[in-house]
Amino acid sequence: MADENDNDRIDDNQKPEKMFTLKKWNAVAMWSWDVECDTCAICRVQVMDACLRCQAESKKDSYGKQDCVVVWGECNHSFHYCCMSLWVKQNNRCPLCQQEWSIQRMGK
Amino acid sequence: MSLKPRQVDFNATWKAIKETIRGVITLDHVPRTVWNDRFSDVYSLCVAYPEPLADRLYAETRQYLIDHVAQLLIKVQQDGEQSLVKNYFLYWTQYSAGSRYLHSLYLYLNQQHIRTQRMSDAEIIYGSIDPNVAIQGDQMEIGELALQVWQTNMISPLGHRLVKLLLEAIDLDRAGLPPKIPIEAVKGTILSFVEVQAYRKKSQLQLYVELFEMPFLNASGEHFKKDAAILLQERNVSLYMEKVKAKIDEELFRARQFLYSSSLPKVADRCQQHMIAEHLQFLYSECQNMVKFEQRKDLSNMYDLLKTVPNALVSLVDTVFDHIKNQGLAAIHNLQGDSVHINFVENLLTVYKKYRALINEVFKSDQNFMGALDKACNSVINHRPNDGRSPCRSPELLAKYCDTLLKKSSKGICESEVDEKLSESIIIFKYIDDKDVFQKFYSRSLAKRLIHQQTQSMDAEEAMINRLKQACGYEFTSKLHRMFTDMSVSADLNNKFQTFLNNDKIELGINFGIYVLQAGAWPLGQAVVTPFALPQQLEKSVQMFESFYHNKFNGRKLTWLHHLCQAELKLGYLRKPYVVTVQTFQMAILLLFEKVDTLSCKEIKETLQLNSEQFKRHAVSLVDSKLLLADTEDIDEFETNLRLNLDYSNKRTKFRITAAVQKETPHEVEQTMNSVEEDRKMYLQAAIVRIMKSRKVLKHNLLIQEVYSQSKVSFAPSVQLIKKCIESLIDKQYIERTPHSSEEYSYVA
Ligand SMILES: [Zn+2]
Ligand SMILES: [Zn+2]
Ligand SMILES: [Zn+2]
Repeated sequence: MADENDNDRIDDNQKPEKMFTLKKWNAVAMWSWDVECDTCAICRVQVMDACLRCQAESKKDSYGKQDCVVVWGECNHSFHYCCMSLWVKQNNRCPLCQQEWSIQRMGK
Repeated sequence: MSLKPRQVDFNATWKAIKETIRGVITLDHVPRTVWNDRFSDVYSLCVAYPEPLADRLYAETRQYLIDHVAQLLIKVQQDGEQSLVKNYFLYWTQYSAGSRYLHSLYLYLNQQHIRTQRMSDAEIIYGSIDPNVAIQGDQMEIGELALQVWQTNMISPLGHRLVKLLLEAIDLDRAGLPPKIPIEAVKGTILSFVEVQAYRKKSQLQLYVELFEMPFLNASGEHFKKDAAILLQERNVSLYMEKVKAKIDEELFRARQFLYSSSLPKVADRCQQHMIAEHLQFLYSECQNMVKFEQRKDLSNMYDLLKTVPNALVSLVDTVFDHIKNQGLAAIHNLQGDSVHINFVENLLTVYKKYRALINEVFKSDQNFMGALDKACNSVINHRPNDGRSPCRSPELLAKYCDTLLKKSSKGICESEVDEKLSESIIIFKYIDDKDVFQKFYSRSLAKRLIHQQTQSMDAEEAMINRLKQACGYEFTSKLHRMFTDMSVSADLNNKFQTFLNNDKIELGINFGIYVLQAGAWPLGQAVVTPFALPQQLEKSVQMFESFYHNKFNGRKLTWLHHLCQAELKLGYLRKPYVVTVQTFQMAILLLFEKVDTLSCKEIKETLQLNSEQFKRHAVSLVDSKLLLADTEDIDEFETNLRLNLDYSNKRTKFRITAAVQKETPHEVEQTMNSVEEDRKMYLQAAIVRIMKSRKVLKHNLLIQEVYSQSKVSFAPSVQLIKKCIESLIDKQYIERTPHSSEEYSYVA
C-alpha cells in the first residue's frame, strides 16, 4: 500500500538471509464463553448474548456492554448468571442434570 | 347663564333650537355664541321646573328630522333616475356630517337623559330582544336617531331603486365602459348602508347585507357563470386557469374599490364556486399531462385554483404521487454493473431532490404534496421487484453505498463531499421499512472495514453512526457501538500484552497485533472457521497470547479467525526488496517456498490442511498477482504445480494482494437475510418482556399494538411473528395466560 514506513531501511542494512521474512502479523480472534452448550437452557438465548431480561432492559445501557456474564456449576453446566440466580430461588438444582447447584466459576 | 332648574317656555326655546338645528343639519354657518346658547337651552329644557321637558324636546327633534329627510327625499329624486345615486350621495354626505354636529349639540340630553333610561348595552347584546324593536320603543341618542330617521325615511322608500342603479354601475365597470355615475358616489352610497347602522351593537351589517350584498353576489354569480361558459369554449385548460386567476384578482380589486371589506371573501368565494368548483372535471382533464410534462406554470396555477375548493386538491395530489413513484421506479429500474449501489442511491436522491424542489416552488411546500412525496419515496424504496416476489434490495444497496464512501479508496473525493453524501443517504434510509436489514448489511461492512483497517476516517464512521442513532434511536446502533468498543478494548489488550512480553523478556520474532472480537457482536457468521495448519513462525505468538489472555480472563475461549488475519511479508529474493500485505492463508502458501522453488498444489493443500475452496481462492489470487506461476491454464488442486516467480517486479515496493474474500458473495447476502429473521424474534421477545414487565397484565390486542409501535422504528413485524414470540415466551414461562381469559397475559416475575 501507499503508506511506506522506514522499517525497510533498517532491514536493508542487514543482508536478508531469508527469501521470505514475516514482518508483521495482524491477527483476529474471537472470544466466547467456554461452554458445552451455546444456549442458556433457562432463557434459551445464546450465552454470548445477554439474557432476555437484560436485553429487555438494555435501552439505557451505554456502549452496548451488558454485564450479563456466564456461571458454571460444579456439574460443568453453564447458564446466564442472571437466569441462574432467579432459578435457584425456586429450586437449588441444576436445571439440566438435577445435581445440587454449586458455583464452580464465573465468567470474567 | 344659570345651571339651576327654572321654568322655561318650551315653545319659545324650541323655536330657537329648531332654527339652529336647521343650520347644523345642512352644514350652514352657525356662530359660536348661537351654538353655546342652544347648548344651554337643551340643558335648561332637560332640567326644567316643575317638570323636565326632555321628552318633548326629543319628540320635536325627531319630528323635525323626519320632516327634513322627507324634504331631502324629494330633492334626491328631483333630477330623475340618472342622478338618483349622485343626489343621494350628496345629501347623505351632508346629512350624516350634520347629524354628528347635532349629536354634539344635544350632549346633555344624550348623556343625562337618554343613557340613564336606556337599557344596558349588555341587555341588547345578549338579550333576546330584537334590537330594532328595542330601539324603536326607546329613545335613542340624537346622532343615532338621525341615522335611524334616514334609514326609515330615505333608504326604505329608495333602497331598491338605488341598488338597481348601483348594480348597473358595477356591471358597467366590469364591461370596462366609462362610468355614468361617479365612482365616489357609487362607493359612498354603498357604504352608507353600513354607516347608517354603524351605531348598532348587533347586526351592524344587516341592512348592507340584505339590501345590497345579497343582490350583488347573486348578480355577480350569474356574471361569473356566463364568463366561465365563454372561457370554456376555448377548451384550453392553461388559458382558462390564467384567465380565472386574472378574473379573481380583478374582482377583488373591484370589490375593494366599491364594497365594504367584509364582502371581499364572499366575492372570491362566488367566483371560485362558479369558475373552479363547478368545472373541476374540465380542470382535471389536463392534470395528467401537466404533471407528466412537469409544466410548472400550469401546475402552479392549478394549485392556486384548486386549493380554494375543499378537497379539490386530492386528485392533483394523487396524480403527483403516481408521477413521482413512476419516475422513482424508472430511475432504479434495471441497474447493472459494478456501481449499481451508487446509481441506485444517487438516482433516487436525484428524483427526491427534484420533486422536493418542485413541490417547494410550484406547490408552495403544501403538506399534502410533501405527504405525496414521502408516500412515493416510501413505495419506490420499499418496492419489491417481480410483483413482490423478490426481496427489496434497498437496505443492501444503501449499506453498500455507505461502505464505498467510508472505505479507503483511490477515488479522489474529498472529505466534505463524502460527508455530504453520507448525510444525504439518511434521506433514503428514513424511507426504508426494514431498517434492521440495512443495519445487518451495514454492520457487516463496518466489521470488514474495521478488521481490514480499511476505514478512511474514524470521525466519518462516528458521524454516520450518530446520524443513524438520531434517525432510529440508541438501540438501533448499539450493536455497531459494540464493535467500536471491541476495537478500543483490543488496543488496550495489545499494550498490556506487549508489557507482558517485555517483562518476561519474550521475543516473538514478529511484529504482532491482534483484534479480539466478542462473539455475537460481530456479524461474521459462525461456520467460517476452517481447518488450517499454523506455520511454525506464528506458533509462538499464538501460544503466548493465549496464555496471556486466559490469565487475564475467566471462562473464555479464543477462536482464531485466520481468514481475517493479515500479514506483511518481506520478499528478499527479487531484484528489489518488496513488502507485501497478504492474508494469512496466502502467507502460509508463500512461506512454503522458502526452501523450494516449485511445489504441487496437492502438497501445499495437504501441508496446510486447507479445504479446497480456501486453497483455490488464495492460490488463484497469488497466481493472478504473478508472485507464483502455474503450469496449467486453470488451477487444479491435483494437477497444477506452482513455481515461485523469481523475475517478479512491481513499481511499488509495498503492495497488497487482495483475494476475493473481501467481496460480498451471494451466499453472504442470503446468510444476512436469514439472520435478520432470527434477530427479529429476539428483538420482539425482548420487547414483549419489557412491556409485560412494566404493565404486569395486558390484553392480547393491546400487547400486539404496543409491540408493533415499539418495533416500527426498525422493521414492521407481522402479527403472526409477534404471536409466535408470545407463544415462545409462554413456553419459557416469562409470561402466562391469566386464569380468567386466554386473551390476556400476565408477567411472571
Ligand atoms: Zn439465560
Ligand atoms: Zn442477564
Ligand atoms: Zn448440571
